[in-house]
Amino acid sequence: MPFVSRRKFLFEAGGGLSGLALAALLDQQGLLAGPTPCSAPGASSPFSPRKPHFEPRAKAVISLFMSGGVSQVDTFDYKPALIKYAGQPLEGKGEIVVRQGHPGPLMPSPFRFQRYGQSGLEVSELFPHLASHIDELAIIKSVVGRSNDHVMAHYELATGTVRMGAPSLGSWVTYGLGSESRNLPAFVVIFDARGGPFGGPANWTAGYMPALYQGTVFRAAGDPILDLRPPSGVSAEQQKARLELLAQLNALDEARNPANSELAARIASYELAYRMQACAPEAADISQESEATRKLYGLDDPVTEPFGRQCLMARRLVERGVRFVQLYHGGLGNQNTDTWDAHGDVRSNHAQHAAETDLPIAGLLKDLKARGLIDTTLVIWQSEFGRMPISQRGLGRDHNPGTMTIWMTGAKIKGGQAIGASDEFGYKAEVQPVSVHDLHATILHLLGMDHTRLTYAYQGRQMRLTDVYGEPIPQITA
Amino acid sequence: MYGRGVGGLLSWLWLCGLVVQPASGAEPISFARDIRPILEARCLKCHGASMQAGRLDLRSRASALKGGERGPVIKPGDPGQSALFRRVAGLEKPAMPIDGPLARPQVELIRRWIEAGAPWEGEIQSSMPQPPANQIKVPELPSAARSFWAFRTPVRPQIPTVSDPRWSAHPIDAFLKKEWDARGLIPAPAADRVTLVRRAYLDLLGLPPAPEQIDQFLRDPSPEAWPKLIDKLLASPHYGERWGRHWLDVARYADSSGYEHDYDRPNAWRYRDYVIRSFNRDTPFDRFLLEQIAGDELEDESTETLIATGFLRNYAKVGFREKDNPQFRFDYLDDMIATLGRGVMGLTLHCARCHDHKFDPIFQYDYYRLQASLFSYVEVDHPLVPRAEAEAYSAKLEEIARRIQPLQARIREIESPYREALLQEKYKKFPPHIQEAINTPEHRRTPGQVLLANQIIRTTSVSSAEFDRVLKPAELAEKKRLQEAIRALEQQKPPPIPSAMGITDGDYRFAPDGPGDEPAPGKGVKQEAIEGSFLHRGPGRYQPPPAYFLHHGDMQSRGPEMRPGFPLVLTRGNPAVELPPAHGRTSGRRLALAKWLVSPDHPLTTRVIVNRIWHHHFGRGIVGTLDNFGHTGDRPTHPELLDWLALEFQQSGWSMKRLHKLIMTSAAYQMSSAFAPESNLAKDAANLYLWRFRPQRLEAEVIRDSILAVSGALNPALEGPPIFPKLAGDVLKSMRNGIWQTQPEGPQTWRRSIYVYRKRGLPFPFFEVFDLPDQSLTCSRRNVSTVATQALTLLNNEFVVEQSRRFAERVRRLSADPSEQLVLAYRLAVGRVPDATERALGLRFLESNSLEDFTHVLFNLSEFVYLR
Repeated sequence: MPFVSRRKFLFEAGGGLSGLALAALLDQQGLLAGPTPCSAPGASSPFSPRKPHFEPRAKAVISLFMSGGVSQVDTFDYKPALIKYAGQPLEGKGEIVVRQGHPGPLMPSPFRFQRYGQSGLEVSELFPHLASHIDELAIIKSVVGRSNDHVMAHYELATGTVRMGAPSLGSWVTYGLGSESRNLPAFVVIFDARGGPFGGPANWTAGYMPALYQGTVFRAAGDPILDLRPPSGVSAEQQKARLELLAQLNALDEARNPANSELAARIASYELAYRMQACAPEAADISQESEATRKLYGLDDPVTEPFGRQCLMARRLVERGVRFVQLYHGGLGNQNTDTWDAHGDVRSNHAQHAAETDLPIAGLLKDLKARGLIDTTLVIWQSEFGRMPISQRGLGRDHNPGTMTIWMTGAKIKGGQAIGASDEFGYKAEVQPVSVHDLHATILHLLGMDHTRLTYAYQGRQMRLTDVYGEPIPQITA
Repeated sequence: MYGRGVGGLLSWLWLCGLVVQPASGAEPISFARDIRPILEARCLKCHGASMQAGRLDLRSRASALKGGERGPVIKPGDPGQSALFRRVAGLEKPAMPIDGPLARPQVELIRRWIEAGAPWEGEIQSSMPQPPANQIKVPELPSAARSFWAFRTPVRPQIPTVSDPRWSAHPIDAFLKKEWDARGLIPAPAADRVTLVRRAYLDLLGLPPAPEQIDQFLRDPSPEAWPKLIDKLLASPHYGERWGRHWLDVARYADSSGYEHDYDRPNAWRYRDYVIRSFNRDTPFDRFLLEQIAGDELEDESTETLIATGFLRNYAKVGFREKDNPQFRFDYLDDMIATLGRGVMGLTLHCARCHDHKFDPIFQYDYYRLQASLFSYVEVDHPLVPRAEAEAYSAKLEEIARRIQPLQARIREIESPYREALLQEKYKKFPPHIQEAINTPEHRRTPGQVLLANQIIRTTSVSSAEFDRVLKPAELAEKKRLQEAIRALEQQKPPPIPSAMGITDGDYRFAPDGPGDEPAPGKGVKQEAIEGSFLHRGPGRYQPPPAYFLHHGDMQSRGPEMRPGFPLVLTRGNPAVELPPAHGRTSGRRLALAKWLVSPDHPLTTRVIVNRIWHHHFGRGIVGTLDNFGHTGDRPTHPELLDWLALEFQQSGWSMKRLHKLIMTSAAYQMSSAFAPESNLAKDAANLYLWRFRPQRLEAEVIRDSILAVSGALNPALEGPPIFPKLAGDVLKSMRNGIWQTQPEGPQTWRRSIYVYRKRGLPFPFFEVFDLPDQSLTCSRRNVSTVATQALTLLNNEFVVEQSRRFAERVRRLSADPSEQLVLAYRLAVGRVPDATERALGLRFLESNSLEDFTHVLFNLSEFVYLR
């Protein structure tokens, strides 16, 4: 940490704490000067960027998590057999394990499918905007999860295990690569304005790693970070005066306690906090965006506005060096209408949630492309499990971890390809089943990390995000 | 570690580099000659007649091609895409066979065989000699296993002879001095007395000393002042709040169940208070373990020992349809074994759930014997009143239920003529094809219509209010009268008797449904043809349900029934594995387990606890990995000192308080932390050999408690139900389930942090930011990290700002003079008086800023959040 020794030098050279030396120092750290450019990359941050294992394809990740369970057979995994065998039992697949109620007969999708782009991949009418990007997407149609419980399935996608308390993917990435931003946290979570996802903060926990690596929640409205600014009654001048005195006193303390590197880190954490006070609201402030951009994300329509805001913030954060942005769509409230959990009626549920997200996601992809960020940013669209090809109470679909469809784009991934396949009904993954460990291995690979070498010592073991499993998906990493 | 069960998912890889070519000129493969012997010798034990692990059966070509629950394992002609080949070749994890790889030529044979289309001849009959799966070999402990340091029984070492009078008086110092001398390290000088008194208060009580308390110590210059201070602090009830918290981390204590539903556990706090009380009354640690593991099996069972059984019940629980998911119970048992292993024995025993431990001589056999010791547990809420009173209470409830029953039956009778019509009305809202399915007579429905009609009919009901709309006035009036009578009866229910969340022995197969626990119709645990009851009802003795060895940890792959027992490497002689108590209601297996743990020749129990205590005093254990004394853990820096402490602890009656005093009266504990000669740093920068006192960042709870103590707002009330301090508005938004009953900020929330509701699904943000450990797993050593959000919390959090105002008011009440205020504030916050530079800076600051500004800065000092 070069700036710490610089401080010591100034402190000692000044023969006591001359106001002048301190001012010069603080100025150098941007404490007294006007706001430093928030997008400036930092060499002196305590989360300094670290080298990956090999040349990375992506520097940042935006994960779009559709909470509640998106139905594959109503979105990207077209199954004509469901029309042909509509109303008949699903047979020859062993015992059908449902989460709620009783197994129903096969139910065709209420949505029409159409081929798009040069690839001719099928997309349902739920995603008219996203469909125009089909040739950019790598669609994986055979992801297999381990649990049909919302929370456990969320944890599996987030951490690789269905149990609570393991470090999340974003934490592993931050641990592995550090941060490109000296003014913002490296791992940011923005959840649905209706509330947090199933399983809550354990989805972005650092688990057994230090809190340094846990996700920081950005709120889509108001101050983006909890306790970012002083409460009412404390003015900016007061705050600044307090910080100046604090810096002086903590520097004295540091000098009295040699060889305690934590004290320097603590002083640095206040400097980062100070910069975050300016830079986090700046990053979250979408009022600076042009009318065209706002429209691109659907901010002019109350249906698309909330998720559009999340997507636009994601782009602004990535632009400013944030490493991992985790967006959740679908949150607390009425589970049947506020998340993708279409037990009751898949038609109305999915129509609503697709309408809320289709345009904003397409806007995000366009915008990343226009700004030249797409080649270094991995965008993943995912959910915690798929849904059943059979009906629940005639109109809905129950949980199904047997197969789900997710897609990836950006990071120079070959688009317009379908990877893996489910069986003729979309009930179980059949060709090239992909585990969550495989997904995680793939994501780490794109970020320049070998998932078998990214380890953290805990309980006498070299722990891995992928445990002892996982293989990168060759069609993605090729 | 989740990796239980039958390995991971097949991760198919397009084999770019590995092109499989038939070896030219090789002899054609013969199934009978080349393949069958391999299958028989190495595969069929688990994938044959007696068991089909992962539902894979390799006895016939058809069953082999069908594959297991992860899909097909052979693709004829393409070994690269055949999991069977990939697993035996080690290309895919877990590699097979699970008990060791095939020889290379055998792997090559398998490859060539699949490439040739996997020809097969006949079926491999089960008449082939197969080791029956229900017999497992009792493992043999390698002769050298017990020679590892942690598995040897501690022996009392010689106290090193030391001539330097500063280090010769106390055995701990003598042990440390020996290592300093051997390594050329210079020990630090003694800390000043103000630092010492603050250290003692924060360490033993988790609260900073008030100026009067500091003065009281400083006024007594005698050498007796220090031991007297220690005695005084150990006698304070706040000691239990501080040291109980350390144990609650081990016990993964929380007030909610975790996972999706995060149910409130309304009685969990009684266990928390039991722990506080146990530390305060200095319950000997061996007794403390007996109570927590087998409090319901002790001869002198009391409400206190029943509350103690909450220790094993603290696991996070999924709590939804557990009868549909019987594997969850094995996860809870695993959590108990992990907690006893890591928390009490310092071993990762839970690693042996699916296979023998990879690094330590712990066998899967050991794991399942230990599981059998715990297997008979059931969850109960122990009534905390005399047995007769509890029985009268249940009898009263049953009586009221009996009287309500006919009234409810009469209501149903009134409603029933209308039910069908109301249901039909509901069915009419469905699309035509569904209505058609419902309306088709049962015997004429197509198979699909059967499912469709079932789905709707079985899940459609009519609510009471819906009936009310169609009942005739007289009927409605009668129903209301009946409902009124039911309400009146319900009001006669006696108030709930206090109870504690704990465990006892019983038969889990008859457990009453918990919240959300009722199985889906037609599902749930298949009730075997067994007779029994949830809890033992005389006469005769309680018989535990059978516990089995589980191959690969897979519930479906039962091995033989297991007898209870303990890990071989830790067992001396032939300890009892069952000590059935006289009351006959429990098996006495847990009692035997607890007695074994605290037996004098157990090599780990005392070492692990004294090392824990040492860690909390010095910031690092003699063994750095508090919960792993095995081969992958750290080695002790001072093995003889550790053994000396362990035996000293045992011989002084397992007294925690005596151990604290023993440690704290050493000169080593009283060393300065601000000492850093280059020569020491070059030799031992990490201070493993304790040549100075290690500065320690205070835990989250201690930081919050210190703020309250310094501001003067701390409400010192002890024990009781949890408190719910205010959360910022949006934080509550991330709470999906369970409770957070926010209380207005004030004395009732300004209590010590140990009383804050521990919600697994929503960690209290102030604690989380200061490295609160995950609340679902046993934790020994908290992380310490330094992040910007900590700075933001101390700078901007409303609670902190409010307390700094109170702090300023407190100071102002004592003096109006700025320079006196400055000194007072410093003494309150960090114990010492400011030096000249600090005084000058502070006075200049107060010229243009308020006292509130100043006190707020003090809460942000590094010194404030460190124990030095």
